[in-house]
Amino acid sequence: MTAALRLAVQSAWVDFQEVAVNGFLLFGAVWQPFFIGVTTMYMLRHRADFDPMYVIVGTALSGIFSTLLFAGSGAISHERWIGTLELLVASPASFFLVIGGRLAGTTVFSLLSLLLAYGIAALLFGYPIAIAEPGWFAISLLFAVAALWATGMFFAPLAILWRAVGHFLLGLEYPIFALSGLLFPILLLPGWTAPISNILPPYWAAVAMHGAARGDLDLPGLLRAWFFLFLTGGALLLIAKWLFERVLTRARRAGTLALS
Amino acid sequence: MLRRSVGAIELRDVRRLFRATTGTLRRHTKEIVALDGLSLDVGEGELFGILGPNGAGKTTTIKVLTTLLIPTSGTATVMGLDVVRDAKEVRRKIGFVFGGERGLYYRLSGRDNLRYFAELYAVPPREIRSRVEELLDLVDLRPRGDERVEGYSRGMKQRLHLARTLLHRPRVLFLDEPTIGLDPIGARELRRIVRQLHEGGATIVLTTHYLFEADELCDRIAVIDKGRAVALGTPADLKSNVSDLSVVELEVFGIDAGTVERLRALDFVDSIVVEQRELRQVLRVQTRIAERAVAPLIAAVAAGQVGRVAVREATLEDAYVRLVGRVE
Ligand SMILES: Nc1ncnc2c1ncn2[C@@H]1O[C@H](COP(=O)(O)OP(=O)(O)OP(=O)(O)O)[C@@H](O)[C@H]1O
Ligand SMILES: [Mg+2]
Repeated sequence: MTAALRLAVQSAWVDFQEVAVNGFLLFGAVWQPFFIGVTTMYMLRHRADFDPMYVIVGTALSGIFSTLLFAGSGAISHERWIGTLELLVASPASFFLVIGGRLAGTTVFSLLSLLLAYGIAALLFGYPIAIAEPGWFAISLLFAVAALWATGMFFAPLAILWRAVGHFLLGLEYPIFALSGLLFPILLLPGWTAPISNILPPYWAAVAMHGAARGDLDLPGLLRAWFFLFLTGGALLLIAKWLFERVLTRARRAGTLALS
Repeated sequence: MLRRSVGAIELRDVRRLFRATTGTLRRHTKEIVALDGLSLDVGEGELFGILGPNGAGKTTTIKVLTTLLIPTSGTATVMGLDVVRDAKEVRRKIGFVFGGERGLYYRLSGRDNLRYFAELYAVPPREIRSRVEELLDLVDLRPRGDERVEGYSRGMKQRLHLARTLLHRPRVLFLDEPTIGLDPIGARELRRIVRQLHEGGATIVLTTHYLFEADELCDRIAVIDKGRAVALGTPADLKSNVSDLSVVELEVFGIDAGTVERLRALDFVDSIVVEQRELRQVLRVQTRIAERAVAPLIAAVAAGQVGRVAVREATLEDAYVRLVGRVE
C-alpha cells in the first residue's frame, strides 16, 4: 500500500515536471479559464441576481475539467509518442496506478484555474470575496477534484481504444460546461437535459462548491452533492480500471504499444 | 524419468502475425508473418546473440519475451514463467533495452529518470539513492547526472537506458541493438559492460547487425531469417560452415549486372555479394579454391575495370552472408 502510494506520488511529481510547461495544458488551466472568467463576469454582472462566486466556481471548474480532459485523453498517447509506453507496460508497476499518479499531478496543476478565477473576481473586478463555509468548501473541493480526476482516468483508455471517441470527447468540452452549469445556470437549459447533468461529476462539483461558498446549501444538500460526486466518480473509475486492462491486452495483441 | 532442466528462455513454435494496412482511401489489410514457428532455447547464464537481416523478426522475438507482444500461437517462457500467463512475474525478473534514444523523460535529469524507474521496479526506497549512483558510475554519467536528458547526446541516452534496466538487478537481459549509433569507443565501452554483466551471471540475449560484435561477445548465435531460425551454434560452429571457403574481394568500376551473373555462373564461385561504394563496387566472391580463383575472375571482368584485389579467410560475416544470401 505504501509502495503504491509512493509510486503514485512519484508519478505525479514526474508529471508535474513534464507537463507544467505543456502549452496545451497551460491553455486548459490558464488561458481558457481566463477568457471564460472575464467574459462571463462581463455578461452576468448587471443581472439583478448576480453572484461573483458563481463565476469563480464555474471558471475554476471549467479549467480543472478542460485540463483533465486534455491530459486524460492524451495521457497514453503521450507516453507512446515519447517512447516510454513500452517501458511502463513492461515494468512490474501497475499501469493504472502510474497513469493515476500522473493525472493526479495534472490535477494539482489544474488548481491554478481556481486561483486565477479568484484573482479575476477579486483583483480585476474588485469584488470582496468571502467563503461562507470554508471547511465545507474545502471538503467539496476535495471531492470535486477527486471526481474530475476519475473522469480524466476514464478518458485515458477511452481515447486510445477508439480514436474517434477521443476526438469526439474533445468536442464535448463546451456542451459539458453548459450541462454542468459552469457558464450559465442550467435553469436556462431545456428540462430534458437535467438527467444528463445529474450524471456529470462537474455538475455536482459546481453544486457542492457553490453551495459551500455561499452557505445557502444545507448540510443534507451538501451531503447529497458529495454522495453523487462519489458515485459518479467511483463509477467512472471502475469503468476506467476495466478499460485499462482491455487497452493493454489489445495493444499487446495488435502490436501498437510502440510507434515504430 | 529425469527432470528436464529448465533453460532461462524457451520459445516453442512461436508465430506472430501483424496486420498491415495499405492505401488511404481504399484500405486493404494484409498479414505479415514476423515470426514463423520460431523455437529457441537459451541456457541460464548464456550470452546469446540473434542475428538476421532487417525485418527478420529479431525485435519481435524480444518483444514477445519481454511481454510486450502476445504471440499469435506457440509458447514462450522466461525462467520457467510463461510470458503471457505470468507476465507480471516475468516483468520483475527481466531488463531490456531497445536501441535508440527514445523512451526517457526529457525534462527530467538523468538521475531523476533513474529514480523514477527505480520506483517502477519497486527497488526498496532505502537502496534507491546508492543504486542510482552506482549505475550512473557504471555508465559514466555521474558528472552529468543532474542535467536534463534533453541535452544528452545519443550515446549518453543509450547508456542511461542501460543503467535504467539494471536498477532491479535483472537475471535476464534483452538488448536489442544496444550499440546502434554509438561511436566506436562508446560501443566498445558498452560491450565491456555487457561482458561484465555476463561474467556476473546474467543471462543475456543480444541482437546486433555488427557481426564482429556477435563474434566477440556471444556464447551462441541464432541466425534468423523471415521469422525462422536458419542456423544455430557457437561463433566457431558458424564459421566452420565456411572454413573451406576463402573470400576474394575485387574492387571493380562500372560493372553491369550481366557480368555479375556471368561470374556467379563460374563453377568455382560459391556466392557473390556486390557492395556499392560511391563510384566503385566491391565484389565479395566466396570460393573453395582461394588464390587460384583470382586470375579467372579478373579475366572474366572487362579489362581496365578491376582495381585492388585481396584474398582472405572467411569470417563470421561471410558465414552469415552465405546463410541469408544478402548483405545489409
Ligand atoms: N507493430 C508492427 N506492426 C506491423 N508490422 C510489424 C510490427 N512490428 C514488426 N512488424 C513487421 O514484422 C517483421 C519483423 O519485424 P522486426 O522488427 O521483428 O524485425 P527485425 O529483425 O528487428 O529488423 P531490424 O533489423 O530492421 O530491426 C517486419 O516485416 C515488420 O515490418
Ligand atoms: Mg529490430
